[in-house]
Amino acid sequence: MATNSKKLHRADRVSGFLYTSPFFLIFAVFGMFPIVYTFWVAFHKWDPFSEPKWIGLDNFTNLMADDRLWLAVKNTFSIWLLSSVPQIIFALFLAWVLNHSRIRGNTFWRSVVLIPNITSVVAVAVVFGQLFGREYGMVNWLLTVLGFSPIDWVNGSFASHVLISIMVIWRWTGYNALIYLAAMQAVPEELYEAAEIDGASKFRQFISVTIPQIRPTLIFTIIVSTIGGLQIFAEPLILDGQGYGGGVSRQFSTVTLFMFEQGFSRFEYGYASAIAIVLTVIIISISLVNFLIVRKIQKA
Amino acid sequence: MATAKRYMGFVSLAAASGLILSGCAATTETSSTSSASNGGTEASADQKVLQFWAFGDMGLGDLIAEYEEMNPDIKINMKVSDFDPHHQGLLTSLDSAAPDIAAIEVGYSSLFKAVAGKFTDLAEYGAADVAGDYLDWRWNHGVDLDGRIFGIPTDVGPMTICYRSDLFAEAGLPTDRDEVSALWPTWEDFIAVGEQYVAATGNKFLSSTGYVWNAVKNQSTEKFYSADGSSLIYETNPQIQKAWDLSVAATPIAANIGDWTADWNAGMNNGAYAVLTCPAWMMGYIQGQAPDLTGAWDVATMPEGSGNWGGSQLTVPARAQYPEEAAKFILWILSAENQLKLFKASGQFPSTLAAYEDAELLAFESEYFNNAPVGSIYAEGVKQLAPIYEGPKERVIDQEFGAALGRIANGDQSEADAWAEAVNNIKRDVG
Repeated sequence: MATNSKKLHRADRVSGFLYTSPFFLIFAVFGMFPIVYTFWVAFHKWDPFSEPKWIGLDNFTNLMADDRLWLAVKNTFSIWLLSSVPQIIFALFLAWVLNHSRIRGNTFWRSVVLIPNITSVVAVAVVFGQLFGREYGMVNWLLTVLGFSPIDWVNGSFASHVLISIMVIWRWTGYNALIYLAAMQAVPEELYEAAEIDGASKFRQFISVTIPQIRPTLIFTIIVSTIGGLQIFAEPLILDGQGYGGGVSRQFSTVTLFMFEQGFSRFEYGYASAIAIVLTVIIISISLVNFLIVRKIQKA
Repeated sequence: MATAKRYMGFVSLAAASGLILSGCAATTETSSTSSASNGGTEASADQKVLQFWAFGDMGLGDLIAEYEEMNPDIKINMKVSDFDPHHQGLLTSLDSAAPDIAAIEVGYSSLFKAVAGKFTDLAEYGAADVAGDYLDWRWNHGVDLDGRIFGIPTDVGPMTICYRSDLFAEAGLPTDRDEVSALWPTWEDFIAVGEQYVAATGNKFLSSTGYVWNAVKNQSTEKFYSADGSSLIYETNPQIQKAWDLSVAATPIAANIGDWTADWNAGMNNGAYAVLTCPAWMMGYIQGQAPDLTGAWDVATMPEGSGNWGGSQLTVPARAQYPEEAAKFILWILSAENQLKLFKASGQFPSTLAAYEDAELLAFESEYFNNAPVGSIYAEGVKQLAPIYEGPKERVIDQEFGAALGRIANGDQSEADAWAEAVNNIKRDVG
């Protein structure tokens, strides 16, 4: 009997590994290998016309002195802040409304908010590019009608960041709202009742009951939108339309776009890999800061 | 519990960094790629499907349909991408998923010459026999230093000035094409006419200063590289300096509208600008964007003679699935006879010598362009073209100077700063 159960245990363990192995195999080929390979390439000078040549840390020292990288870092952070903060606030509001409203067709509205997210990002960028066109864009037309002067959305530095952020916000607010909604529905009704009895207003309930209760979800979405925001690529790429510089003054060149430019337009594979590693370090640092802050809050 | 939480944190960190790195390494997404299938018929099992990559539809639809009808076992599947992504994607796919046929524009020709070994030598399929049919300098865009023929020339792009005669009339300028041509023997005259136009109408004359830059830099035998390709001369070449100075001088008369944008297309209709430098292939584009303006656009000569803009080679990558069928197809579609057909249908000007003697071509008038004798105008333009050396990193250098002119137009930088930044970036990326 005892040996039998041991056998069974071993069989279980083996089958457990077998069940999970597809993920690990795929991760090894498409996740782990490219990561390790990126490090290897970053220490080489390599283009499509010659064999890779070991150059040690040259790519990194050149990169540290490259003002285009620091401009891209600055732009990336600017766009990330401009998009993430409003996005989370809007999403919370939207989730609150969806959770508490008694409007008919709840399921319908809950699916509708996801539509921007399943729209092709290329289509989004093309349409927004036209809406925000300097000469004949609808937004500038509206601004002129209202008595403001038109804005050069693409050529202005801050204006272009705002435009890209609007695209990101439009695309991701609904997605985050659904995640918050799921979390909000798990908040026990008694807490609201207790707050009500204590005389808390709806807003006070939101701040003191809802937010603390969904904090783990909030942290999750903040981390995910940090990763996404710092990797922003498709929107600035398509907004430029002419190349990968991110505008003539590189005013919306992001780190990922700079990496793509170096890798697939300048064909400096090694340099591009070094940029990828620098971006990784940046994102890990930000996530660490995130992590430390969160731990502090939880202890307090 | 606390340990579990800490552990979760690190897991999400690890997962996050995994996302970043694998995302970076695997990113090969390019912008708007559409695929157009020609002929409209589905491929059947016994058909050979030739994959054809291009950066515009090249107006080849009718000829492809004709070829498919003549050769029922062949199906051509055309994939159209944006200009730069097309060439960059082609370069990176030559060792893996290469198409059967690929277009390479002259500005990229030297880049691909460096990897000509990754293309089929078309001499194996009789290309050497037809070399004499084509303009020799256009033919040479598809021949590497060892004499390997890796591409056959499509059209040639002698430039003229397309202008809006209706808007010229409103500005009190002459409208007749010979009188308009006589207005601008030099580029300085051209800019002066532009200033006159802007003063009279309040509208801009050019869509962007890039048009002056592109035209003047191509009116020489050398631009960024010395003619033998041995050195970079963009800092010292007087023609580049001239193109730069004229472009900067044209800033006040240009609308600062980027090429191929929605604003640019709209401007062809609504008079946001009044002229365009106009290689033959541009005619079809204007006509497509402003179909209601028949007779409003007309064609005059360009200051200081013509210059070439554009034209491609069709190539067969070495890893093509059907190299023989692909080679046969491109030799057919780029034959003198078919290039002539293509010109009449969509305006690409032939690179084949016989066309320039063709009575029908010389007599060809475009109804859309106010019945301008475009056949003889472009045939005259071709005679003025001198071969110009295209270097391997031509496009990168050009993009940096283009961006610099954009910064001046936006008022972001002074002329000196813009030049310095362009040169600095080129030095870093090219040498």
